[in-house]
Amino acid sequence: MLHRLHFATALVCASVCLSACDEKLSSLGGPTPNLEPTFASIQRDVFETTDSSGRTSCVTCHTNTGRAPSAGLNLNHDTAYDQLVNAAAVERAGAKRVAPGDSANSYLLQKLVGAAGIVGRRMPQNGPPYLSDGQILIIQRWIDTGAPRN
Amino acid sequence: MTRLPWICTALLVFGTLLAGPSPARAQDDDAAALRLAEPDFTLIALPTSLRLPPLKSAFRVTHRFTRPLNDDFGDVASDLFGLDTGATIGLEYRFGVIPNGQIGFYRTSNKTIELFSQYRVLPQSRSLVDVSAYFSIEGTNNFKDSYSPTVGAIVSRTFGDLVAVYVEPMWVNNTNQLPKAVVDHNDTFMVGFGARVRVRPSVYLVAEAAPRPSGYKPGITQGSFAIEKRAGGHSFQLNFSNSFGTTMAQIARGGPVDKDWFLGFNISRKFY
Repeated sequence: MLHRLHFATALVCASVCLSACDEKLSSLGGPTPNLEPTFASIQRDVFETTDSSGRTSCVTCHTNTGRAPSAGLNLNHDTAYDQLVNAAAVERAGAKRVAPGDSANSYLLQKLVGAAGIVGRRMPQNGPPYLSDGQILIIQRWIDTGAPRN
Repeated sequence: MTRLPWICTALLVFGTLLAGPSPARAQDDDAAALRLAEPDFTLIALPTSLRLPPLKSAFRVTHRFTRPLNDDFGDVASDLFGLDTGATIGLEYRFGVIPNGQIGFYRTSNKTIELFSQYRVLPQSRSLVDVSAYFSIEGTNNFKDSYSPTVGAIVSRTFGDLVAVYVEPMWVNNTNQLPKAVVDHNDTFMVGFGARVRVRPSVYLVAEAAPRPSGYKPGITQGSFAIEKRAGGHSFQLNFSNSFGTTMAQIARGGPVDKDWFLGFNISRKFY
């Protein structure tokens, strides 16, 4: 009986450990190793930061600080969320910049990947370098989970 | 995180050892005796309930040729049905540590290492079925990356010396090679089904499939069939599979959507 108890205890402990296995999100983020699928992280690590690959920050152009924001999109800290989520895309009628839960129809993502049908250039417009596949996947995940203000 | 797989492995091995031989169970049927309906430790890729006597061992080679058989027959024949092409090769060694308990090591040529243990909980002689607990953990890049642990059960029943059937519910974690923060599913629940039928005194037909009811399930369900010849302590198996998976996580990830079939073989040897 004691042997079986030991065995069961080992099983429980092992199961807890087993469920903890996961890939590292930092390896996906590449030049922005702290990037997470949250709005706060995307704001900080993508919109406002020029990363180690040389990809320029979005607020270089998309700001109202000392200039008119490109395409009318102001990604400064206090305005970015409202300017993106459920907001109409200026460049293409009928499109939303970020359609919560629907990354495929979010114009922001189409501009970042350079999808067919976008108006103007792929972002950032001075790329390459552009956002990496991993960085784009993390942004896509934030949109697909409803683009929460988190 | 880097220590986690080793902690898991240690827990599984020591858990098996701590289970120890219960006196009644140790007197069950002789593990070293040939079981005609269940001559080997695996079907094609899925494990069987066959026990390994304490301090005895067994070795297995797996080979999956990567050339699809669905092409033009003349082209396939000119490549000798895949033998002229590359292959995914695996080497396995398993060892009986206690009555009813075994541990093993398996490495494939894509540098995946799988450590596994198996412990028979319930013999068929006491119930309708034989039940074994199964645990494994595998890692890619020589057990440095992408650790995928598996917990499951092997439920089997033999019918005389002719037939053995298997149902193997398995939960495999970290099957998705993306972080769980960016995916819907990072684990897979699959149920392996398999059977081995003895059609001649030492010839068997074998089949298995591993549908995935829930979790991460890309590609198609892995399925295989084979013909096998037992010769003394050896088993020689020629198999056909729609994927190359030979470890639990590889099986859980399914096969290519092209629905190709591939030739392969297993050779195993018992050292007792």
